[in-house]
Amino acid sequence: MFEKLVNIICNYVEVEPENIHPESRFMEDLGFTSFDFMSMLGEIEDEFDVEVEQTEAANIRTVQEAVDYLEKLTAES
Amino acid sequence: MSAGSGERIGEDMLCSTVREILAGTEKKYGPEDAIRYKISKNEIESKTYTQLKEDSESFSNVLKDMGEQGSHIAVIGMTSYAWLVTYFGTVNSGSVIVPLDVNLPAEDVCDLIARSDSTVFVYDEVRKDVAAIAKERCPKLKTIISMQQAEHDDHAYSFRKLLEEHRGGFDYDPQPDQLCTIMFTSGTTGKSKGVMLTHRNVAENATCLDMKIPERIVIMTVLPIHHAYCLSMDILKGVSLGAVICINDSLMRVAKNIKLFKPEMILMVPLMIETMAKKLEEASLLPAKIVKNQVFGKQFHTICSGGAYLDPSYIDLFKKYDITIQQGYGMTECAPVISVSQAWNIRKDAVGQLLPNCEAKTVDGELWVKGSSVMQGYYNMPEETAETLEDGWLKTGDLGYVDEDGFVYLTGRKKNLIITKNGENVSPEELENALSTNRLVGEVLVREKGGVIEAEIYPDQDYVKKKRIKDVREKLQEVIDEYNRTAAPQKKIYSLVVRDTEFEKTTTRKIKRF
Repeated sequence: MFEKLVNIICNYVEVEPENIHPESRFMEDLGFTSFDFMSMLGEIEDEFDVEVEQTEAANIRTVQEAVDYLEKLTAES
Repeated sequence: MSAGSGERIGEDMLCSTVREILAGTEKKYGPEDAIRYKISKNEIESKTYTQLKEDSESFSNVLKDMGEQGSHIAVIGMTSYAWLVTYFGTVNSGSVIVPLDVNLPAEDVCDLIARSDSTVFVYDEVRKDVAAIAKERCPKLKTIISMQQAEHDDHAYSFRKLLEEHRGGFDYDPQPDQLCTIMFTSGTTGKSKGVMLTHRNVAENATCLDMKIPERIVIMTVLPIHHAYCLSMDILKGVSLGAVICINDSLMRVAKNIKLFKPEMILMVPLMIETMAKKLEEASLLPAKIVKNQVFGKQFHTICSGGAYLDPSYIDLFKKYDITIQQGYGMTECAPVISVSQAWNIRKDAVGQLLPNCEAKTVDGELWVKGSSVMQGYYNMPEETAETLEDGWLKTGDLGYVDEDGFVYLTGRKKNLIITKNGENVSPEELENALSTNRLVGEVLVREKGGVIEAEIYPDQDYVKKKRIKDVREKLQEVIDEYNRTAAPQKKIYSLVVRDTEFEKTTTRKIKRF
């Protein structure tokens, strides 16, 4: 899951995959804009065939939190 | 120097009230689709111009029956058909619409409902938290209406039910100089200000310029509906053109919804344009035409950019993909468009040409504008109004000038206000005051840097010693995190700089900003 997410992240920001860590924060460390982040969530919906809840997703700050949320979603579906 | 320009449109297209805009289009395109929106993942429902007019007239009847015709009606929610019906039904009955930011904390929303003297509150269930406390917090508020609730109950009326109960036409002609809306915008003092706009202000802003956009164009609306730019350009301009207005249900799904609705034009803020540019460039090895068709679809041709400054290099980049970017400049106080740069009339470094209803001059380096879109003032704020309006001239707070052909050039900002790339105005003082309430924060300066809001903090040294704080940075980050937890999205701080010396001060002991 982490690796898949890293691949998606690289579509939005110019960061080398090896520099993306579970504790990396999307906005502060990876340089995501708010719209980059929203667009990535949309891509995740397609990629993993899940429905992201925008209000819940708004609380995601780090890559690990995104992985946890995604794992929860895929387990549910 | 004072100049006015732009191509004035035919008298038949110029409308001076919102009602004229909707009624004119309904007459021409009544049975055609006006609004399209999703009812499930891949299912679309449509409403025609006749339905939009009739439903909004039903809402006017609701207000009249409640004794609220002419009152201030607050509305909050994502863009939806019900939101639009509320908007047109309110303003076309001579009442005043107060659109509120759906992302604001509940306490702030209540403050705006109270300060705007709203007596009716129409809400989307996503903000039921506000509806739950609004009556208690806002003494003048009498009626609460839920956009989704199926039946009336003790707490709120059902919007749908009210419309069913009040079917029938509504015959009222708002006057051009009648107040139409109060729109809140961030002020430099931190307290948001209610911009008062008349029907003429908004209707002429949307219809005075012929942008050569074909009638019945399909547009997709992605920006927050409470923004003046979205309301004027997506909704009022769209309706005036008899456009099919498709509602994007979430910023997460812009790409997917483009494929679903197949729009020809989208209004965006620079932040979105930058992300879309990345999407286009991601596949830059493929022929431009194929990439464009994949991302935007074959039919797509125009992006309107506004809300904040767009780096002109994006105009060239999108041109490669056969997409035209029309850039605009404006502010809520001018309903909001002041100038537009059109594809066939671009002057490098200018933010477009003045609208035909607008003239401009430079006073002490600051750009002042005058015309039929300039606001009436800030609601219940005479001092702030007097500071901003002078003999009908609006002081924009931007440093700049106009050339002899009416092209506007901006050189900087006079006002201390952060304009984020998604067009939100944020007052640094408001954020500084919020952070300063923490004892650890000795001095703080908030600014925009690299597209995000940054706080630079000099910690209170006495407090650090007293509390024996070892990792000051970590503690300050906790302060920021705590602040971010409840802050509106556009006011969140994503960068922290910790100083080890005091800030340089002016003679009046204020922190030097620049």
